[in-house]
Amino acid sequence: MNIVVLVKQVPDTNSERRLTDSDHTLDRASADVVLDEINERAVEEALRLQEAHGGEVTVVTMGPDSATDALRKALSMGADKAVHLSDAALHGSDAVQTARALAKVIGTVEGVDLVLAGNEATDGRMGAVPAMVAEVLGLPALTHARKVEVDGSTVRVERETDEGVAFVEAALPALVSVGEKINEPRYPSFKGIMAAKKKPVTTLGLADAGIDAAEVGLANAATTVVEAAPKPPRSGGQKVEDAGDGGVRIAEFLAAQKLI
Amino acid sequence: MDFQESDEHRALRSAVAALAAKYGHEYWVEKARSGEKTTELWAEAGRLGYLGVAVPEEYGGGGGGITELSIVCEELAAGGCPLLLLVVSPAIAATVIARSGTPEQRGTWLPGFADGSVRMSFAITEPDAGSNSHRITTTARRDGDGWRLTGRKVFISGVDETDTTLVVSRLADSRTGKLRPAMFLVPNDAPGVEYQPIPMEFTSPERQFTMFFDDARLPEESLVGGEDAGLAALFAGLNPERITVAAYACGIGRYAVSKGAAYAGSRSVWGRPIGAHQAVAHPLAKAHIEVDLASLATRRAAWAYDADDPATGEYANSAKYAAAEAAIGAVDAAVQAHGGNGMTSEYGVGTLWGAVRAARIAPVSREMILNFVAQHTLGLDRSY
Ligand SMILES: Cc1cc2nc3c(=O)[nH]c(=O)nc-3n(C[C@H](O)[C@H](O)[C@H](O)COP(=O)(O)OP(=O)(O)OC[C@H]3O[C@@H](n4cnc5c(N)ncnc54)[C@H](O)[C@@H]3O)c2cc1C
Ligand SMILES: Cc1cc2nc3c(=O)[nH]c(=O)nc-3n(C[C@H](O)[C@H](O)[C@H](O)COP(=O)(O)OP(=O)(O)OC[C@H]3O[C@@H](n4cnc5c(N)ncnc54)[C@H](O)[C@@H]3O)c2cc1C
Repeated sequence: MNIVVLVKQVPDTNSERRLTDSDHTLDRASADVVLDEINERAVEEALRLQEAHGGEVTVVTMGPDSATDALRKALSMGADKAVHLSDAALHGSDAVQTARALAKVIGTVEGVDLVLAGNEATDGRMGAVPAMVAEVLGLPALTHARKVEVDGSTVRVERETDEGVAFVEAALPALVSVGEKINEPRYPSFKGIMAAKKKPVTTLGLADAGIDAAEVGLANAATTVVEAAPKPPRSGGQKVEDAGDGGVRIAEFLAAQKLI
Repeated sequence: MDFQESDEHRALRSAVAALAAKYGHEYWVEKARSGEKTTELWAEAGRLGYLGVAVPEEYGGGGGGITELSIVCEELAAGGCPLLLLVVSPAIAATVIARSGTPEQRGTWLPGFADGSVRMSFAITEPDAGSNSHRITTTARRDGDGWRLTGRKVFISGVDETDTTLVVSRLADSRTGKLRPAMFLVPNDAPGVEYQPIPMEFTSPERQFTMFFDDARLPEESLVGGEDAGLAALFAGLNPERITVAAYACGIGRYAVSKGAAYAGSRSVWGRPIGAHQAVAHPLAKAHIEVDLASLATRRAAWAYDADDPATGEYANSAKYAAAEAAIGAVDAAVQAHGGNGMTSEYGVGTLWGAVRAARIAPVSREMILNFVAQHTLGLDRSY
């Protein structure tokens, strides 16, 4: 079974994240960038499925040159090869453009049975790209998976959302996006790190992937960020000094907020 | 010249740092307090090949060197989990066996060092021959097809969590009768071997022991490298020990500086963070610089060792000196920035005081390093 995992490099959630003043796109220079944690879980799931069913795991990213580090991380965990779509013209692409571009890149990988993704990236938090990629490729989309099983040519998923848990299945090929609870990603072993150096990474420009430059990038995006303001600092909150009645007053506060 | 670490080294750093973060300083302190061992961390680091980075590939290791092992050592310590046994088992024992062991010894031991399943202690220090290891008296003599070992060692780390100890002793030369250094692989449970814990005043999951060898019978193959290995075999292990101790101290230093800075940035008793006062900020900034410099010296020493550079000895000594001094300064600055909290268990900085203090004494003391540099680098008269 051949699996493609869509991975994204994002600013570390521990560092301060900002938008650039000039075009309100993500300021990548100001923060440490890492492989998104949810994508580590997607890669982990792919590797587990590969251990059970064989085949190849290919990781795919769209991002600037530095995103190679995220691919290397996935390769060091055990993925077999990587494809990196990198082109200055992609800067500022919106979710639809990103999904179209990724679909083209997936098309360059042979015999794909399953596409895995994280259900949302920690930077944009759109949570839309996986379903859009499935739409473009005409694949069934099974999103928010907390458990994935493949049986012959069927993929079964436990889908967990705020509404509850649903058991869904589809025929392969399909796209599955995974949630936080899916697994604990492995740490790359030293051998994995050394092996990653020798694994193939194909870098594609727009033309290589058959993408029309007029369809991507900030200027052609369907959505525009008009304005951005930093989150206001957290206000002091309300302090309850305990003069014997602290418990009662906290309960009153929580009741007033309709929390209890 | 290129000060940028390779992609693989950076990847190793971040992988080990992530593993250390999973356990964290509280785990380490809890193990030290309860008298338990850091078994889970050791086993996981072993499975991931971090403990065996320097073991040759043909024995299942990572095929790297002391550079990689130092990265592992530093990152675990920087994550609050300094492991003393790293300095002893993979850095000394595995290196000695890989460099000087017989083919059989390599085949027997190295696969276990590669995945961390083998742990070894290292015993050189004796009660009457501390800094002066030329005076050691633990002696082996021929006994049929094996050996008999007699002597006493002190401060031997981790004997209760290792199976075997690499013991530095002397051997009567079969031709000249003169005593010369030889190393033996001694099972800790062999008849005639006893060990007792030394009560120590520092927080550490690893304990120190006195070891007694009373005519302990050892098989022929316990002599490392055979009868002719000698002094070179020992020296193969001592530089890696110094370099990894330096890495261990640098890691603790980084941990302390970051804890100190985080606390100074958030604690406020005069209306703004105490870190706004230079009396608090400067010691932390100074510690940062000194730890960073020590870390550079450590990388240089590791590089020199791996490249068989003749200056390795001096570099390893400099790194060990600088790292111990920097780490002591860093922990002291962090404790001071924490005020009273610096001395509590909860804040996890005072807990490192003993570990960095030990790095000024062991494996070679600050004074002996200064002796070495005065004599060998500066060409001054030998003072001792
Ligand atoms: C935590 C810890 C773990 C250890 N683990 C191990 C281990 O696993 N295996 C092992 O073999 N050993 C171990 N040791 C022992 C360590 O290597 C020795 O303590 C160290 O080499 C110093 O020897 P000593 O304690 O006998 O001090 P001494 O040699 O008695 O020295 C005492 C003091 O005098 C100074 N001094 C001595 N000679 C001179 C001189 N000529 N000029 C100037 N100053 C001098 C020393 O610097 C030191 O400050 C450990 C020690 C500690 C503290
Ligand atoms: C062993 C021990 C016993 C104690 N016993 C008692 C006791 O019996 N009774 C009691 O009341 N208290 C006791 N204390 C508390 C002790 O008095 C306080 O720890 C001490 O006053 C420091 O206060 P703090 O810990 O809140 O540090 P903080 O005030 O938070 O200071 C933290 C660090 O910032 C520095 N700093 C703070 N403000 C400034 C500034 N404006 N400029 C420059 N530097 C600054 C401090 O010097 C310190 O290094 C004890 C503490 C210890 C460790």
